[in-house]
Amino acid sequence: MSAERPQDTPNGAAESTVLGKRVDRRRALSVLIGGMAAAAGAASACSPLSAMTDEEKEAKRLAWREYIKGNYRTMTEAERAETIARLEHLAKVKQGTDVTIQSTGAQPGVVFGYAFNISKCQGFRSCVEACINENNLDRRAATQYIRIFEMEDGVIDLDHADATFQHEVPAEGHFYLGTQCFQCADPPCVKVCPVGATWQEPDGITVVDYDWCIGCRYCMAACPYWARRFNWSAPEVPAAEVNPNQHYLGNRARKVGVVEKCTFCIHRTRQGRLPACVEACPTGARVFGNLLDPKSEIRWVLANKRVFRLRRI
Amino acid sequence: MTPRRLLTIAFLVAQAWMISACRDRDRAAADDRAELGAIRGAPVTDPARASADSVVTIANATLEPGALGTVFSARVDGWKGPGDQPFEVTVRTADPASALHRRFGTITMGTSLRARAPDLGQYPCTSCHLGRRMLLADERVADAHDNIESVHPAQTGAICSTCHAADDVELLALKSGERATLDHAYRLCAQCHFSQAESWAGGAHGKRLDGWQGRRVVMGCADCHDPHAPALEPRIPFRAPQIERPRGPRP
Repeated sequence: MSAERPQDTPNGAAESTVLGKRVDRRRALSVLIGGMAAAAGAASACSPLSAMTDEEKEAKRLAWREYIKGNYRTMTEAERAETIARLEHLAKVKQGTDVTIQSTGAQPGVVFGYAFNISKCQGFRSCVEACINENNLDRRAATQYIRIFEMEDGVIDLDHADATFQHEVPAEGHFYLGTQCFQCADPPCVKVCPVGATWQEPDGITVVDYDWCIGCRYCMAACPYWARRFNWSAPEVPAAEVNPNQHYLGNRARKVGVVEKCTFCIHRTRQGRLPACVEACPTGARVFGNLLDPKSEIRWVLANKRVFRLRRI
Repeated sequence: MTPRRLLTIAFLVAQAWMISACRDRDRAAADDRAELGAIRGAPVTDPARASADSVVTIANATLEPGALGTVFSARVDGWKGPGDQPFEVTVRTADPASALHRRFGTITMGTSLRARAPDLGQYPCTSCHLGRRMLLADERVADAHDNIESVHPAQTGAICSTCHAADDVELLALKSGERATLDHAYRLCAQCHFSQAESWAGGAHGKRLDGWQGRRVVMGCADCHDPHAPALEPRIPFRAPQIERPRGPRP
């Protein structure tokens, strides 16, 4: 969300240098549009505009205006509201769903952290189910942010772990470890993004602007945990299953050719709620909270329990 | 068709009807209890025993967007959470129609939430135990409680009165001689499971409801563990259903 990044964030300073210099969007577009006009003649033979229904035309118009958004600069509050309204309208026109898209910013004094209790997890994958439903993950590709690994007791060895187990759990002599985006403090995926489409928010959540991502997948190569997912085809979620509670930086509709990832359920956690995986876990294996609050549960766990960081470098 | 066969069929039909009538009656009774619970807030037969002292409304958007659930909670007596903060424990159970929900306590997943007592099959105990007394060594005890899967008592050599107060069956008997209501059962559990209880108070065991921010309301021991058979049942893990890819070249 480079174009939408709130001005008051520490990262705000970086945005004007997207692509290394300020770009005059109008000039860039005039070149682009010139090229497209030539292509349009050929394309129109395949899908003449006149053959489209009004809904299809409307969908195309909204999607295009949403992609362009005027020009490259930090958007005003009014423009942000317009973008949200367009996206909500687009969802209505495209799929008939009434969605609400937030652009809630980070709470001051909050850095999120989570802990995973490997002595509690039973491998039920309730978290995976909740995550898919909550984040409108592609049902056709069966995208999952979370992987649960089954490993033999005694050693953490992800190279020989099974993330595809499908038998009654917990299995004798095995334990389970879940991975998803850990929202690294110093995220390698952010460093490699050539267009600044992914960045770390002040509350520690690394997010992706789906309208800015060019789909190069450098971030996926850089991630040591395989926590990012690429949309090889346009994600499909049946209209009845769409979670209408959405966030611009989170679970709003993605498109083909962009990368997405776990955002700690940004639409929930920025409102004080727990991520869906934490809420759904029947064993209490997931602990989530504010790392800066000494009275939080996550801090109690860090202070009183044997903890380790899962490092995969 | 012989008269004898007709008679058999008639008998079977009558029996089926009686069974369904009994079920309806039981269901109606359960609904009544739930209704009462919902109206009165903390449904206990004896107001002096009411220990739920607050009602927390939680957002419940995982399955039912925008729906609200209500949790009854009580201050946890004499325990401190992270940062020495007091906290609250839930005094309720999940939708009684779903044994899974009751067992695993996934109560934020779109079930309506109610106080615990009306969902207990044989509560109040005094509906059978006249004079609040427990009759030990009575063979009727086993029959009356045949719905209880006795794993934990059998393993530990416990009998009913190890945990339940023999002279006041609606209360739990602590080793200190104190009594606790069912809403504060964590006090009983913590007598042996002290390390789990410490983790629970700190936030490393059990579940917090709804949010990481604000009031801390955690689920009680019996919200996830059946006190008489505490282990979680093994399960077949969730597998994501997948929309089939069309055969042939990709569009």
